[in-house]
Amino acid sequence: MGVLSIKRTLSIALLAVLVLAAVGCGEEEKGPFRIGVMESVTGAGETYGTVAVQSKQLAVDEINAAGGINGRMLELIVEDSKCNAQDAITAYNKLTDVDEVKIILGTSCSGAMLGAAPLAEKEGVVMFSGLATNPDIAEAGDYIFRTSLSDATVGVDTGNVLWADGIHDLATINESTDYAEGVRRTTTAQFEKLGGHIVAAESYPTDTTDFRTQLTKLLNANPDAIHVASQAEASGGTIIKQLRELGYDGPIYADVVPIGTTALEIAGEAATGVKAITPDLDPANAKAQEVLAAFKKKYDYVTLPWFLGSAYDNVYITAECLKETGDDQDADGFRDCLYDITWSGTIGVDYSFDEKGEVVGLSNAVLEVLPVAERTEENGGYRVLGAAPTS
Amino acid sequence: MSIATGALRNIQDVARDPRSWWQRSKGNIELWANLIVIGWALAFMLWRGGGFAITVGSVFAIWAILAVSLNLVVGYTGLLSVGHIGFFGIGAYAMAVLSSNASYEQLRTEAIPTFGWPFFAALPFSVILAGLVALVVGVAFNRFRDDIYVLVSFGFAVIAFTTFLSWRNLTRGAFGIHEIARPAIGSWVFEEELEFLALLLVFLGLVVLIAWLIVTSSFGRVLTAIREDEQAIAVFGYHTTHYKLAIWVISAMMAGLAGALLASWSTFIDPNSFVLLESVLLVSIVILGGLASIWGSLLGALAFVMLEEGMRFVPFLPSEFIGQIRQVILGILLVLLMLFRPQGLVGRFKL
Repeated sequence: MGVLSIKRTLSIALLAVLVLAAVGCGEEEKGPFRIGVMESVTGAGETYGTVAVQSKQLAVDEINAAGGINGRMLELIVEDSKCNAQDAITAYNKLTDVDEVKIILGTSCSGAMLGAAPLAEKEGVVMFSGLATNPDIAEAGDYIFRTSLSDATVGVDTGNVLWADGIHDLATINESTDYAEGVRRTTTAQFEKLGGHIVAAESYPTDTTDFRTQLTKLLNANPDAIHVASQAEASGGTIIKQLRELGYDGPIYADVVPIGTTALEIAGEAATGVKAITPDLDPANAKAQEVLAAFKKKYDYVTLPWFLGSAYDNVYITAECLKETGDDQDADGFRDCLYDITWSGTIGVDYSFDEKGEVVGLSNAVLEVLPVAERTEENGGYRVLGAAPTS
Repeated sequence: MSIATGALRNIQDVARDPRSWWQRSKGNIELWANLIVIGWALAFMLWRGGGFAITVGSVFAIWAILAVSLNLVVGYTGLLSVGHIGFFGIGAYAMAVLSSNASYEQLRTEAIPTFGWPFFAALPFSVILAGLVALVVGVAFNRFRDDIYVLVSFGFAVIAFTTFLSWRNLTRGAFGIHEIARPAIGSWVFEEELEFLALLLVFLGLVVLIAWLIVTSSFGRVLTAIREDEQAIAVFGYHTTHYKLAIWVISAMMAGLAGALLASWSTFIDPNSFVLLESVLLVSIVILGGLASIWGSLLGALAFVMLEEGMRFVPFLPSEFIGQIRQVILGILLVLLMLFRPQGLVGRFKL
């Protein structure tokens, strides 16, 4: 009898455990979709990482308030990947091993992205960034995607803008750094491909303060326009100022640096009318204005609007793909969904991803510097003319 | 070593008479530091065993090599160097440049020569290069002492970082170097993280052994004497500059080894891994663990890594602030520790 009762107790206990487990599983089915986020929220790149996390959280809160994805909530698990490979690898392993996520949004720092990408590629985990711009990321693998534009696109779009503006003879001056030299090289290549001529080219080392000799050489070649690519705002601003002082009144084109706040202070009125090619939100896009207003309402500040919008769009694209696959563990399905998707959101309309996971259908915007009287902190001293032409 | 036998004796005591053991041990901070840090690490391994624990273990091993090597200079010889990250970077970049096999897009980013050396061929070269650079700067550094030494070593770290960033046709500057080789013996590649961790621990063991042999030798005693009073030991006919240079070069070679291992472990590096802040963290690890104590450096590295990674599991934080709060808590803990335990967890000597 004693043995029997023990057996009975045991079987009841076992049954209870099974029922509990079943209930547990049932809850598991209806639990939230869990997505990893890796951003550089401390150290170098902190501003970018923080904006990205906040923007993503804003989008997630909106999605959940609207009833989630097919009734399931979306949950972000945020880890600090800092700005280097080592911290990115630990953050990546924490997310994939402890939290067992298969989809990671991030990172904002290219160095961190490239550190974790080989692991993600090997283990079949999707990494999806809205901010990293290093051109090498294009080659990082099949599971690596981004909505951010590679630095290489700036030059291509600049070439297109120059040609569309009717420039035939171009003179260039650039700082000898990887970024500025890269912009110069890609600009020149695209411009020449379209039929333009480079009539003069100069480059200068970082910390140069007087450019008159080099600029005079450029002007002697009689160019239709001059392109300035610099890495430091001080040199970009000084070049524009000295160009006008030398009597040049033709068009000036630049990358984003020579129209930064410091550069505009140095150049003053000389900078008026300078055109810069860089990613920026389209002022005509109502969605973009809506997102900026929502972000401002939630966090009481707005910075880096394009990157903010890019991170925000990442979450909505993720939600759309999760709706399709219905499983946050299905990285392959998610990857295929990204390859197929065409999206319209904050940073542009009808954009998609090519076979390298690079975004296509987005272009840089053309900005024009306003006269000194119209420059405010709000507008950054420039207005957006519109998207750069794609050809 | 004495800590280990001490721990063993303690365990025997606890078994024999728990109450009197408690009476004797409750004021023994060193014992508690050991128990807490190692206990936390073991608990973490059991709780979060698997891939993440292996990653954390690998990070610990790399930083432990660095901490032990720096302790030889800072703790034993009394030269406060904050430039150690430079040698770490030199080792890493030597490994990266020599063993990377990547092909780069020509147009946009910098293309650099690839050599495609295997790991074990590049490793001695990385270590020797760090040693050679240390020899050259060490000759100049030997003219300085105390606070000035801190400043010149600070300068060295800045120069090293700028070099990694600016020597673009060798390091690819901010773009970083990809596809750094993993170690291979014959056809067996250390591809799995656990295998790499085992390799790291072997190298850590080697470094600890060399450091132990140094500090227990007559050479090590001269170093300690230099720390206590350089002029006094010079009076006895010791060429203190030679001793200082020797330990500086040995320490830099160990840091170069750690760098080479980091490069191979992460397979991608860029200059962001070698910023000055990392150097300051390294000095904090050495001080946290305890100056002039090899065990202290191991414990300091373990405490630091476990603190930083363990903090990822602090619950109930809004996702927007997790990273920042982690740093703040870490900072507060370090300040408190220094306030109440200036000689570090198990150290005997204060700066």
